[in-house]
Amino acid sequence: MAMGFSIVYNSTGILHVAQGAVYSISPFLLVSLIDAGFGLPASTAIVLLLAIFISLALELLNHWPLYKKDASLQSHFISSLGIYIAIIQIIAMVWGNETRVLKGAIAPAYSFWNVTITKPQALGGSLSLIAILCFTFWLCRTEGGVRFMALSDNPIQLSLMGYDISKLRLFAFGLSGFFTMLTALLTAIDVGFDPHSGLNMVFLGIVATIIGGKSSFAGPVIGGILLGIVRSQVVWHTSARWENMLTFLILVLFLFFRPQGIMGKKGGLGTL
Amino acid sequence: MSLNLLVGYAGLLQMAHAAYYGIGAYTTALLTINLGFSFLPSLIASALVAGILSLLISLPAWRLKGDYFVMLSLAIQVGFYSIMYNWTGLTNGSFGISGIPKPVIKGNVFVTLDNIFVLFSLITILCGLLIFRLLRSPWGRALKAMRDDELAARGIGKNTRLLKLEAFFIASAFAAIAGGMYASYVGYIDPTSFTVNESILMLSMVVVGGTGNFRGPILGAFTLIAIPELLRFLQFPDAVAANVRLLAYGLLIIFIAHLRPQGIAGEYRL
Repeated sequence: MAMGFSIVYNSTGILHVAQGAVYSISPFLLVSLIDAGFGLPASTAIVLLLAIFISLALELLNHWPLYKKDASLQSHFISSLGIYIAIIQIIAMVWGNETRVLKGAIAPAYSFWNVTITKPQALGGSLSLIAILCFTFWLCRTEGGVRFMALSDNPIQLSLMGYDISKLRLFAFGLSGFFTMLTALLTAIDVGFDPHSGLNMVFLGIVATIIGGKSSFAGPVIGGILLGIVRSQVVWHTSARWENMLTFLILVLFLFFRPQGIMGKKGGLGTL
Repeated sequence: MSLNLLVGYAGLLQMAHAAYYGIGAYTTALLTINLGFSFLPSLIASALVAGILSLLISLPAWRLKGDYFVMLSLAIQVGFYSIMYNWTGLTNGSFGISGIPKPVIKGNVFVTLDNIFVLFSLITILCGLLIFRLLRSPWGRALKAMRDDELAARGIGKNTRLLKLEAFFIASAFAAIAGGMYASYVGYIDPTSFTVNESILMLSMVVVGGTGNFRGPILGAFTLIAIPELLRFLQFPDAVAANVRLLAYGLLIIFIAHLRPQGIAGEYRL
């Protein structure tokens, strides 16, 4: 989720709250497609395409027109918030507000050393690792990846050099849709899903991005892992009720003492 | 009106206003039930408590702006919500606080809807007039100067740090007064009334009505309150009526962001 958020945030500066809507709608689409008689692989492939399509539509119909009008990042944020609210209400009207699950029975678990993880968690970890490794390879080893990093560094200079930044921005949104869909389906298999969980997931993505460092694409991954460990420790030692409190306490501490994050460079854009 | 002080005049996109609204509601409830405060002193105490707690957001605002400030205010919102939800010894957690007494002023109990409407209208008008005077004063103009160019405002001798502290103190205090009025009106509060969704709703009112002047947020509040009333004529089933209302809010926000970034009657483009 953090990766999906930071890809858009690093390359466009947009607080992509509507990502939460893509997160929320993905498992509902999957269930509907399975119910309509498509198999799981075909349904997953279609949901993947739909999630990417929705993300691209968000850029083409909302953010790119605002960018052309030279709208402020606050306008982008507010419109993204409006889109999130609208899509969530559509989901609630079509599929209802109830929490659902994708799996029918208790998932098998694997134990090694003193660690026990369920099959969906193992699947989620493996697929996330593969996706992140592929993205990192593409980012560091290909010309497209270098252009993408240049977009996050200085989009104006990149466009002055003749590169079409609209395509790169579209690519960022598409990639974000892919990562978001992946997270949504894996989380839905593990703990279920409901229409309103998207915003909380975006918040977690934001915190992971800040902890890891927003100027680095590796930062959110590290931030996400650290955040996951800390949150699980809170559940283990105190109570799940304090998970969010501690998450945002960590965010405040980082904003105060290390706003550039673990991997970031000093002097973030948001500081005076 | 108080949120506009921060968003429209100070240029700070505050996402934690519902938290301060909630602090006001809880302070009023606890003071009236546990310590026997009457209505007006409890409102004043709520405003002071929220004003002091606004330091949690105004001190970091010295350094943070833009996206970082939005994230900080979200963190504050979630933090306060978690406290309201989990500190069961003080707030009774998810069960909430019931039996909050109706307003009593000099022995007069405001029980009927008409009485409460008159009393709360008077308090709202008084608060509105205070905010109006503040916005028209040199202090309000200094706030605008800080919003437009903070470095330039500093250059002409304005203490922008103090301005931010004052703006947050005043805005949070007014939000707390609204929270206190809400608590004594409904008689029961729980944390679900003070979530990030309420902050989004308040922000929507400011954004839709318009930022940077006095009339914008008032128009925004009326517009967003009028929408559900208008939707009643379309006779949606009860099960989806709330969703349709929120869908209309969402679409309205998108429309405003694209076609009129300063809002219906605002002056400052977000």
